Amino acid sequence: MTQPHPLHDLDLNITRRQLFGRAALGLGTASLAAMLGGDLSAQTGGGPQPRQDGGLHHAPRARRVIYLFMSGGPSHHDTWDYKPRMQELYGKPLPEDVRDGQRITGMTSGQKTLPVCPSKFAFSRYENNQDGVWVSELLPHTARMVKDLCVVHSTFTEAINHDPAITYIQTGSQIPGRPSLGAWLSYGLGRENQDLPGYVVMHARSRHPEQSLFNRLWGTGFMPSEHQGILMRSQGDPVLYLNNPPGVTSADRRAQLDALEEINAGQHEQFGDPEILARIKQHEMAYRMQTSVPELMDLSDEQDEVFELYGEDARTPGTFAACALNARRLAERGVRNIQIFHRGWDAHGNLVGEHTSQCKDVDQASAALITDLKRRGMLDDTLVVWGGEFGRTAYCQGRLTKENYGRDHHPRCFTTWMAGGGVKAGITYGRTDDFGYNIVNADGQVLSPQPTKERWTPGTMHVHDLNATILHLLGIDHERLTYRYQGRDFRLTDLHGHVLHDLIA
Amino acid sequence: MHEMTGNPMSRGLRLVAAVVLLAGSATYAQQSTKEPVDFARQVLPILSDNCFVCHGPDAQQEDLVRLDSYEGATRDLGGHRAVDPGALGRSRLIARIHDPVNTMPPRDSGKSLTDAERDILTRWVTQGGRYAKHWAFAPPRKQAPEADGNPIDAFVKAHLREAGATPAPRADRATLARRAALTLTGLPPDDATLDAFMADQGPGSYERLVDRLLATPGYGEHQARYWLDAVRYGDTHGLHLDNKRGIYPYRDWVVRAFNENLPLDDFITWQVAGDLLPEPTLAQQVATGFIRMNPTTAEGGAIPAEFQAKNNFDRTETFGTVMLGMTMTCARCHTHKYDPITQTEYYRLLAFFNSTAEHSMDGNRYDYAPAIRAPDAQDQWDAWVPLETELRSLVDGVTDDAGTLATYAAATTRWKSEGWSMSERVGTDATAPSDWKPAKGFPGTRPKFALKEGEAVWITCRISAEVDQTLHLVLSGAKGSAAWLDDTDLAAEPTATQGARESTLLLPLLEGDHTLKVKLVGAKKPMGIGVRMTNPWRPLADSKQWGRCSDEQQLTMMADPRGPLAGDPLRERAAKARRSQAELRRRFTTTLVARDLPKPRATRLLERGEYNLPVGEALTPETPQVMGPLPEGAPRNRLSLARWLVSRDNPLVARVLVNRLWQRVFGYGLVRTPEDFGLQGQQPTHPELLDWLAVELQDSGWDMKRMVRLMVTSDTFRQRSAWRQDVDDPENRLLARGPRHRMDAEVVRDVALFTSGLLDPHMGGAGVKPYQPPGLWASLSHPASNTKRYVEDKGEKLYRRSLYVYWKRTSPHPMMTLFDAPSRETSCVARSRTNTPMQSLALLNERQRLEMSRGLAQRLLKGEPTDAARLEKLFRMLACREPSTRERRACERLLDRMRERYRGAEEEAAALLDRSGSDPRDEKLDAVELAAWSQVAITVLASDIAIMLF
Repeated sequence: MTQPHPLHDLDLNITRRQLFGRAALGLGTASLAAMLGGDLSAQTGGGPQPRQDGGLHHAPRARRVIYLFMSGGPSHHDTWDYKPRMQELYGKPLPEDVRDGQRITGMTSGQKTLPVCPSKFAFSRYENNQDGVWVSELLPHTARMVKDLCVVHSTFTEAINHDPAITYIQTGSQIPGRPSLGAWLSYGLGRENQDLPGYVVMHARSRHPEQSLFNRLWGTGFMPSEHQGILMRSQGDPVLYLNNPPGVTSADRRAQLDALEEINAGQHEQFGDPEILARIKQHEMAYRMQTSVPELMDLSDEQDEVFELYGEDARTPGTFAACALNARRLAERGVRNIQIFHRGWDAHGNLVGEHTSQCKDVDQASAALITDLKRRGMLDDTLVVWGGEFGRTAYCQGRLTKENYGRDHHPRCFTTWMAGGGVKAGITYGRTDDFGYNIVNADGQVLSPQPTKERWTPGTMHVHDLNATILHLLGIDHERLTYRYQGRDFRLTDLHGHVLHDLIA
Repeated sequence: MHEMTGNPMSRGLRLVAAVVLLAGSATYAQQSTKEPVDFARQVLPILSDNCFVCHGPDAQQEDLVRLDSYEGATRDLGGHRAVDPGALGRSRLIARIHDPVNTMPPRDSGKSLTDAERDILTRWVTQGGRYAKHWAFAPPRKQAPEADGNPIDAFVKAHLREAGATPAPRADRATLARRAALTLTGLPPDDATLDAFMADQGPGSYERLVDRLLATPGYGEHQARYWLDAVRYGDTHGLHLDNKRGIYPYRDWVVRAFNENLPLDDFITWQVAGDLLPEPTLAQQVATGFIRMNPTTAEGGAIPAEFQAKNNFDRTETFGTVMLGMTMTCARCHTHKYDPITQTEYYRLLAFFNSTAEHSMDGNRYDYAPAIRAPDAQDQWDAWVPLETELRSLVDGVTDDAGTLATYAAATTRWKSEGWSMSERVGTDATAPSDWKPAKGFPGTRPKFALKEGEAVWITCRISAEVDQTLHLVLSGAKGSAAWLDDTDLAAEPTATQGARESTLLLPLLEGDHTLKVKLVGAKKPMGIGVRMTNPWRPLADSKQWGRCSDEQQLTMMADPRGPLAGDPLRERAAKARRSQAELRRRFTTTLVARDLPKPRATRLLERGEYNLPVGEALTPETPQVMGPLPEGAPRNRLSLARWLVSRDNPLVARVLVNRLWQRVFGYGLVRTPEDFGLQGQQPTHPELLDWLAVELQDSGWDMKRMVRLMVTSDTFRQRSAWRQDVDDPENRLLARGPRHRMDAEVVRDVALFTSGLLDPHMGGAGVKPYQPPGLWASLSHPASNTKRYVEDKGEKLYRRSLYVYWKRTSPHPMMTLFDAPSRETSCVARSRTNTPMQSLALLNERQRLEMSRGLAQRLLKGEPTDAARLEKLFRMLACREPSTRERRACERLLDRMRERYRGAEEEAAALLDRSGSDPRDEKLDAVELAAWSQVAITVLASDIAIMLF
């Protein structure tokens, strides 16, 4: 009957954080209780308590996740989902029975025809641990990694516009207001490294940033804001307000903090409020972050071959390659929850030019990240996820030429890949029809009725299923990680989501 | 298998069950029949938590027992009943909750009962299994408190006595002054207020302080903030491009409403339905911005019907949270599992909002229609409100019982113009030409006639009237355009919409024939031309009834110098008022308002909440039955909904609102789930007190200041806020100590602005943009967004109260969000209060905090002669007391270190000081001293002395 409540939750978090901190120092809970000056048992009611092994409900397969989010909706047609038969129907109207009543956005619903638009890019077959994968020439580096990847061709969603779709995949709801995936992880798993934020978000540069991102994608909705993602930036302070102003050295700051803590300790003496002690800890952690973050961002200890691996771009702050390298460095330091947002995949026209540039941004570094994690022995317990909020249409938006074309948003299927962290390596999962339009079953038959979030259909991965699987790999049962708000126990996956055990090694 | 169904069980199972039932229920029933059980307080939460998912309002199977009503629980399920009135002890419910094999709730449901809960259920059934309404659905009743004095204290002390506790001693006077000032105004007391209070030792001095604080404009600014969180106020649309939205006059109106203590029932009614009030005032229309506050999109390709549904969901659910303290969201897709709200009822409530006139997509427009012009700042409101009152009394003073005005109006329609002619294009300096050519299209506009800068055309016509009258002559032409009647220059008529390319002139027409000449001047960007005439009497001529004309129209007619009122002093006043009105309006700005469509949209239930799956008949708007119906015959519109909200019979609204008032004062509500008063919400810690306050709020004429005053002057509020060894109550549910919590983001900033002397007291107006690290907006905004670049303000706007900080919903100012401000994308009626290292970094490194510390240091250095005096002043400003020895020593040590450190390193001191914001530093002050004191100031400003309420 304990009702989680902002106050209560705050207390819980204090307790937990203190527990971690003190445990590291080898102090027992008795002294903790004494330090808090309150009744410990009164504060340990309902919130999640991670296990010793880092999971919450079961042993985790992954200790951390690096999510490479391709914002805007990469075209599966031009990257991962090879559809040679579309060449035969080049420019012909998409057969009605393929579309089968699928709603299309207002951007193409007014077009006279929906001409079939095969990819201009050449595909090659790469060996994996099954029958191989066809990958487009846009992703030569990642293609060579397919033995490590689990490529899911049958991801799907219901949303057909960016704002709802990206909010959906990142927060489990198309309408703003819910905690993000990262916030749920922070809430469920706490943090491992006391000197760095537990949840780090990076925005990678793109030549075509034609989408919006929103704070809500790494925000906390109705959860306490301490679970929000911390932006690691390439402009100004790497973390907001990290650096001391000019004329203030670390020793000066130490002296300030000593005075500040003395004042706060006096307040504690007077008021006996345990929150004061918690705040003193936060000031100390901030002080440590002032050292640990610059260390993290300082790439001078990386060998030249690392830059060969990730690409020379990695020397330029803010590029996807630099973000990917940072992600590895964060992972090494025990940050469990890392997201890179790369914008610019929304190719309504000029797909050829834009996707070439977009893929160039991410291809080498994505592959490098896998290689790098692997050789450091970290891939086994690091989950890497790559994908966007929806796919793109089989038909052309605007003018179709041999040289160029555009594609509208497509929710019914798109490709996502995962690697490491307990997922099967070198497999593909799910298939789509000859137009990359509908998900098909093992016999190549279009699923009828269409798969829905309400009931899982084998061979498919709804965005809720993706999130359920991510949580599962990190040791969380998505049905049991709940947060009560407005009298209801909310979940990331709402009432849906199915863990794709087929993908788990 | 485990459902409590009416299906016959297998024979064997039934036998087992019967044996258990007999053996079990007899003992359980015997043990515990005595102490009476309170259904609403004790039983319903257990049923709701453990049973309603399957056996509640949304039960999926016909034959499944329903436990949410007496009828359901006592239904015959084939020889047995969950609650059996004929044989209470044999009720199936008792058997099943005690059944070790076939237990309820089922083991795999993740739910289970404690022994205490089983005992309560058993006692409840054996005592008759009677149902009562959930507490929040029964209207509040006022019970007289048991003791004299402030009723709040009587109720609180009664609870304390029960728990064997006593109240904490009263906090010292200075602390109380600080606590009251921060609670009421969000700022510490200023010197004068604090001095006056400390000097005033007489009885009632604290009450006088409270009254003084309640009367400061800061009160409204501080209180408004909570409301703006609840209604999710933002300066941008919130979705996709997240473009600018014109709505800040609403924010300013909310501030005014609090300061003027607008009765809470009006406050609610105007916001929900101000547009539907008869002849709504400007304020009443601006208030309907509440209805328009939902995030909107205009994303390319988005489907309007989908967003019509989403906008409606958002409004309905926000309305539920803000006004009813109820979560409606569940019922969007299915009948609520816990609360008695059906899916149909959800859509009936939604229907009230489904007929508003705006398009479902915002077009990325600032003036996303319907929008009106409204005051741009508080001083304009100050001027407008009395003027509007005067205008109303003026028009109220005129009637047309004899029909004189209507007769005159009819005569004015017979004016004629003819013989329209035009000149060639000439220079702007040329005098009236003699060479005219007949021209078509006049009176009227000719948009394709392009007139360039330096060019002019002349237009003329003959014009005649049958009575003396006035026309309004509207010229489409750039500045310098003019007109002459019979060679007399025509004067400008003030209008609200006067632009650079249009002007309105008064055309006084005496009975007879006249010649009109017009000169139209071109502009840099070529423009079309136009000459139009409007007759202010036309509305009356059309309607024939004075009373049918709007105030605006009546006023224009009254102001006519040629009309029947010519010579009447009333006309003079009308003309003057109209002129002031027009001048004022010209400075107005855009604000979004609610309007209804002439014909309501049909609302249907949406299956699973999917916009494209409407089912069934069109639904009439209706309130959820459990909260009481609309009065019979009341029109099914928002106004009736508003009146229903504030009616005496509504069980929720007064409780919900007074709970949030309590929360503002004490840090936590009496119901600690202010967003949920439903079955899954928490019960009030002090139910009688909550009800007493709710009824008192109604009895007082919904007087907010009175209620807040009652709370702030209670002994309960005035207790010391230190944690107590003798009371085991970490969450302070007993209210055995005074309020203590970290202050909100805005207050943390405002306190520092205030003590630094930088705070700019200007109230209202467009959102302001203080320093923000560069690139935050750009790194997430669409290139087509008009909020992709954050352009810092300069001057005073950097120092306004945080209430006015520009609110981009997809990326609010980090100094707000780091300290738990919500994004304002959704309603927030209680902020979290977290504690993070990011806050520490912000407190010590953010640019404005550096600037404020320097400002504070300058004040101390200039105002006080010695270090000791400076420290005293610093602590007095922030904590209303002297520093303790410990604090003094800590600060002195820091000060010494900093002096030592900057001495001989003046360039570093200068680097720190010059980096600190744009307010120039006082060059007369020694840089070393100033830097050292700035460091002390920023440290103390970051400490709990400055960021905590205590």
